[in-house]
Amino acid sequence: MTESQRRVHNRLAVLRAERGLSRKQLADKLGINFQTIGYIERGDYNPSLELALTIAELFRLPIEAIFSFKPMTPLSEEIFRDPPTEPR
Amino acid sequence: MNTTTASGRIEYLPRSRRRLLVAGAMVGYPAAVAIVAALKHTSLNRWLILTLFLLVLLPTVATLLAGYRYARGRIDGRRARLDERDLTLRQQAYALSHRVLAVILVAVTAATEVYLTSGNTLRLDASSFLAAAMWVIVYIPALPSLMLAWIETDQPADD
Repeated sequence: MTESQRRVHNRLAVLRAERGLSRKQLADKLGINFQTIGYIERGDYNPSLELALTIAELFRLPIEAIFSFKPMTPLSEEIFRDPPTEPR
Repeated sequence: MNTTTASGRIEYLPRSRRRLLVAGAMVGYPAAVAIVAALKHTSLNRWLILTLFLLVLLPTVATLLAGYRYARGRIDGRRARLDERDLTLRQQAYALSHRVLAVILVAVTAATEVYLTSGNTLRLDASSFLAAAMWVIVYIPALPSLMLAWIETDQPADD
């Protein structure tokens, strides 16, 4: 990652662990080297738009659920935050 | 020696150590040549000068080989599968090589110009030309590999 690039936070490690995938297995599905997965997880490398969309497609999640400029909070926290109020 | 293990070790070298190797590789040859140039007109034994030269040169060659080995297949594109991160790194390594080479050439040209305009003369004989030629032959092809070893961050721990 170059100095001028904004840091992109991601949930890749959590999603990978949830699905019981090793870096090698995920990398093989994405057609990249397994080290690249580690660099993305650590925030040292920002994936291209094409790779980010492929990752989102693989996990069947919207891209903003995986990558964000803001630090990631646990998914469960996001789902249950501000529960919709019942209309009166 | 087990080459697989050796190349594995080089790949997993932390960046701080890699940068030391790169700095050693960059400084080693000019230092060895400077030692010979400074000592050859003294009364010091020729064999001692040669020993000193080799003492500086051999670790330099070893570090150059380590740098080349680190980037092997990624700089020359011979690795079967270069992904987008490898290609980005390669591009950055070539760009940095160009900048480093430009700085070295400008510095050497400026220093030569200052030396010559100060009333000195520069005699280009076979031995001085050989030293410069060796630098060009060895360092210009090796620079992108060395720069890749310089810029790449530490590999993430295994999962």
